[in-house]
Amino acid sequence: MALLEVKGLKTHFFTREGVVRAVDGVTFSVDAGQAIGIVGESGSGKSVTALSIMGLIPRPPARIVDGSVEFQGRDLTTLSDRQLEDVRGREIAMIFQDPMTSLNPTLKIKTQITEVLDRHFGYSKDEAGRRAVELLEEVRIPNASERLEDYPHRFSGGMRQRVMIAIALACNPKLLIADEPTTALDVTVQAEILDLLEELRRDHEMGLILITHDMGVVAEVADEVAVMYAGQIVEHAPTLELFDHPEHPYTEALLGALPQLEGEDVREGRLLSIPGRPPDLIAPPPGCRFAPRCPYAHLGDGCADNEPELRRIRQNHLVRSRHPASERQREAAPV
Amino acid sequence: MSTTDPRDAVVAEPAVPEVVAGAGAHAGAPMARASLWRDAWRRYLQNKGAVIAGAIFLLIVLFCLIWPIISPHDANKVDLTQARQGPSLEHPLGTDAFGRDMLTRVALAGRISLAIGLGATVAILVFGVIYGSTAGFFGGRLDNIQMRLLDALYGLPYLPFAIILLAIIGTINMWTMILALSIASWFTAARIVRGQIITLKQNDYVRAAQALGARWYRILSRHLLPNTLGVLIIAMFLELPGVILGEAFLGFIGLGISPPDASLGSMAEEGRSEYRANPHIMFVPGLAIAILVLCANFIADGMRDALDPRTRETKEG
Repeated sequence: MALLEVKGLKTHFFTREGVVRAVDGVTFSVDAGQAIGIVGESGSGKSVTALSIMGLIPRPPARIVDGSVEFQGRDLTTLSDRQLEDVRGREIAMIFQDPMTSLNPTLKIKTQITEVLDRHFGYSKDEAGRRAVELLEEVRIPNASERLEDYPHRFSGGMRQRVMIAIALACNPKLLIADEPTTALDVTVQAEILDLLEELRRDHEMGLILITHDMGVVAEVADEVAVMYAGQIVEHAPTLELFDHPEHPYTEALLGALPQLEGEDVREGRLLSIPGRPPDLIAPPPGCRFAPRCPYAHLGDGCADNEPELRRIRQNHLVRSRHPASERQREAAPV
Repeated sequence: MSTTDPRDAVVAEPAVPEVVAGAGAHAGAPMARASLWRDAWRRYLQNKGAVIAGAIFLLIVLFCLIWPIISPHDANKVDLTQARQGPSLEHPLGTDAFGRDMLTRVALAGRISLAIGLGATVAILVFGVIYGSTAGFFGGRLDNIQMRLLDALYGLPYLPFAIILLAIIGTINMWTMILALSIASWFTAARIVRGQIITLKQNDYVRAAQALGARWYRILSRHLLPNTLGVLIIAMFLELPGVILGEAFLGFIGLGISPPDASLGSMAEEGRSEYRANPHIMFVPGLAIAILVLCANFIADGMRDALDPRTRETKEG
């Protein structure tokens, strides 16, 4: 049984302008020890998906209108706030994008780590203190026992993210959700943090959901990748498979938009981008949500009218498009 | 959290030699060693007016506390043969209409005025924090109701409101004065706290705490309220002059502490009837009030520079 199973999750924001369908039918699962990357551009619903799993979406205006989030057989969407609080931090932990603001500036690092231990395990001060040193050592902060007494402003961005990871790991959670954990960091620090996450995941047999818009980060860490567009998963495949054989036109375009170090475009000083902008989620396009920007929408088949289903195109490879790459090739070169 | 970390003081201080700090790393060097409070203290010291005002304020407080104990005169002893004397060696500030030593009496009155001022300020902050933080933290309809109520209360004029409250309470002593003055003026503090809490609520570390399973009271007490402390301290010194003045005013119109005790306001009132012949009887407590209020204002100004990051940036630019 999967550790986490998200089924048909729909999180909508009820605003004055209308209902924003930020997450609109997302289904995926995470096994113990598995890392899933969720990729997409800003506003594609990645973060809202994560917050919905944690039950941290701002209510109002947001509400989970449909679907379930089953964690170890329990549907988190049906739990009360109090029950959810016991799951958060204890079973599922989360780290956020900006380590500079994710730590309380008025509390010592020690207090912030021991707080979780006290909250979930009722550790005594001494026990919690010892565990805090272990945790800081585990995330490779030198002079751990001394640094515990410091306030956050004495730590660099990378170090703070390590502290955040230490806090997240404090209760040995079974699932870690990392919401753009490296976006705010330098490239070199980014690599270190990713290595650390990778190692900790292996050591702790922890499930990992990595949310990012950086294809490079996903390639490094994730076993499987789900590409999100306009609140839906448009392609879901093992990482290598996705990079080698992208099927959805959006994924192709995303990979095509990665800056290249060599090739024609570099010589001409061009960066490729996807024309148009993501759709308005209050009134999404009636058919395929990517149709207005899709280079293959002219092929017809009701792209503009009917929403395509997420279908299995190969083993482990799901795609939500009428014109996935492999089928286009077959049509272009008829036998 | 304001306790100074001894390890910090011993280890970190020599770690940043003065030469480095002087060598031009104005922005970088202090950051590395200073805690928030030490940083604030350093910035406070840069404001000369605030430092002088703070020193005078402290001296006045000490004088009020100590002088009545060591003074050769009994502040309440009536001696009509000594009445209405001007300043002399025996009585540096002269005597009042009953022959009581003005210097001792002013110290005693200062005690009461300061006690009322500080007491009411603390009460204002307590009311303000409780009311403002519930409104800001829970938001929504509760916030709306609380704030509209506050808007209505805001319309009441400060001193008449305090006078009516005193009339309702019935008795006048130090505690009822504190109560009346604080009830009449906690609104601004509540608004400040509410605004702060609403801003702080957006912080990532609040969300991070939620993601770790922290309950609401923990988030409020651990992550939100301590962060409002700086603003609260500023608010406290901004409220203080108003309260001292308010108390003095009430004393002056005869609603203050009853004789033989005195506050600065009621002392000034005693001297009012004969201020042409013996101006010092009114002038001395009046001057004391003026100095106290002025000092409190300067201190508040310095505190704001030291603790409020927004004005800080523009000052140090």
